[in-house]
Amino acid sequence: MAAIAESTETTGRAALKGLAVDHARARLRARRRRELSRHVALGLISFMLVAPFYYVVLASLKDSNAIFQYPPQLVPWPPYWGNYANVLSHTNFLRWMFNTLFVATTVTVLKIFLDSMAGYALAKIDFTGRKAVFLLMLILLMVPGGALIVPLWSLIHSFGLIDTYFALILPPLANPLGAILMRQFILGLPRDLENAARLDGLNEFQIYWRIVLPLIKPALVVLAVILFTDQFMSFIWPLIATTSDDLIVLTVGVASLRAHGGVDYGLWSASAVMSLVPIAVLFFILQRQFLARSLAGALKQ
Amino acid sequence: MRLSPREHARLRRKARMRHELSGWAFLTPMFACFVVFLVVPVLGTVWWSTRFGGLIGGTRFVGFDNFTRLIDLVGAPQAIWNTVVFAGSSVPLILIGALGIALLLARLEKGGAVYRFLVYFPVLVPGVVAALIWLFLTNSDFGLFNTVLRAVGLQPVTWLATDTALGVLVALDVWRNVGYWAMFFVAAIIGLPGEIYQAAELDGASPLARFRYLTLPMLRRIIFFAVVVSTIWAFQVFDTAIVLTRGGPAGATTTVVYRVWQYVFGSNNKVGYASAISLVMIVAILALTIVQMRMLRSRRGGD
Repeated sequence: MAAIAESTETTGRAALKGLAVDHARARLRARRRRELSRHVALGLISFMLVAPFYYVVLASLKDSNAIFQYPPQLVPWPPYWGNYANVLSHTNFLRWMFNTLFVATTVTVLKIFLDSMAGYALAKIDFTGRKAVFLLMLILLMVPGGALIVPLWSLIHSFGLIDTYFALILPPLANPLGAILMRQFILGLPRDLENAARLDGLNEFQIYWRIVLPLIKPALVVLAVILFTDQFMSFIWPLIATTSDDLIVLTVGVASLRAHGGVDYGLWSASAVMSLVPIAVLFFILQRQFLARSLAGALKQ
Repeated sequence: MRLSPREHARLRRKARMRHELSGWAFLTPMFACFVVFLVVPVLGTVWWSTRFGGLIGGTRFVGFDNFTRLIDLVGAPQAIWNTVVFAGSSVPLILIGALGIALLLARLEKGGAVYRFLVYFPVLVPGVVAALIWLFLTNSDFGLFNTVLRAVGLQPVTWLATDTALGVLVALDVWRNVGYWAMFFVAAIIGLPGEIYQAAELDGASPLARFRYLTLPMLRRIIFFAVVVSTIWAFQVFDTAIVLTRGGPAGATTTVVYRVWQYVFGSNNKVGYASAISLVMIVAILALTIVQMRMLRSRRGGD
């Protein structure tokens, strides 16, 4: 500033203008430099996070000799497809994948309805015990499935459902996260809307079905993504709830390749790559909803 | 038309009844599942923790014995210690990394979508598959880590040895979770009021000062929330440990949930121990949850 004041006295307006332009340029340059350094840093971080995928895809396209070769081939050419053929012919991979997709889809569809109905009741209907129910759900929200395997197993066992699809589908329905999220979303809807609907003679179910559900569609998509991916990844409960090869899900099947199959890096790499296909496809289609998954926690507030 | 007081009261009661009925009708399908498959198992854990025996066949009541014996039980203190060390190192690394990435992403002018996509991708990998992928990074002969070390002229490392395996498990967890919390923090940072930053910049506050005295205090509760939730998640580590290291070597990566699983399905008559150790974990997590709820409530000024 002192420099500017001095120059005003000596050389007048033109110089001041020149200085201002210089200053603006310098600021622009600094801004560009900072932007560039951010790109460099983020590029490096992204590279480090993604490199493992590249490395495993690479390994899956090599035969067992080429995998151990040093220095490693960075582009295996011609690619060796035998590992993928092995996964398909030596394991029940497609069946595991089907089981995962079937269970995840069923749980997601059921939960969408159960949770939105419960959320509607908790948000809009004034009944006895509403507050207590909500508090209980909040408190038990974080109880991990891994800590409940003993009582859950004996419960499902007493129903005679161990090693059935029911064993995989029923327990995940208990998770209160969806109902809590739906309550939060439905609380945000304007009251006038349902009051108008009520004056038009709609009953509670019609209000839920025709007014509330269409309005919370974006929230339902986010919830579906959360439920589906959680189910896709779930491991410990499916591991103990099913034993027959026709019923085990993808995560359990893939883990069994490591546990029982002996050392077979070709099989491991190819099955890892194939496991990622469905969720990667879904991610490409629903990026926005996937990124909103991180906010589900925040919404709870 | 005016209603008599009695008629009025009757209509009010009728409306009340309708609320009760429709409320519970909407709630029950989900709430029944919640009670049967969550509330009952939590109570069931308490019951099982006082029993001695196996999953199938008779058990008998032993009171608090399972808890007192937990201390001498082979592997139980080690599993708790491993889990605490795991959570204690993975949580800070994940959250500091995520905050750094989020600060870079939030200030980016162009191209953020690509980085978000790449950073978030590992989040979508199931733990079992992630562990399988990390076998290709940590292999002593052809693993990516040792390949890089050799390329820069360093000695290769045995990554899954007794004293390094838990560290590798932490690194895997950071890789898998940093993107999740980065997206969480990006949303929080974008939501901060911009005027304060402009004012601070005019006053000549350095970027570091702005982070230290503006961003950090404003994100305090968000960060606290992230610490609690990611700690709870870290307590549950199991699927990466079972595939990457199978709990070893020598129990170095045997975690609490891993131990529970071993007690139940690896050997007989230890279901009581499994439940006792589960109950310790549930209580720890409930305590964290309640602290969390209190903190969030106090923000709203006694709401």
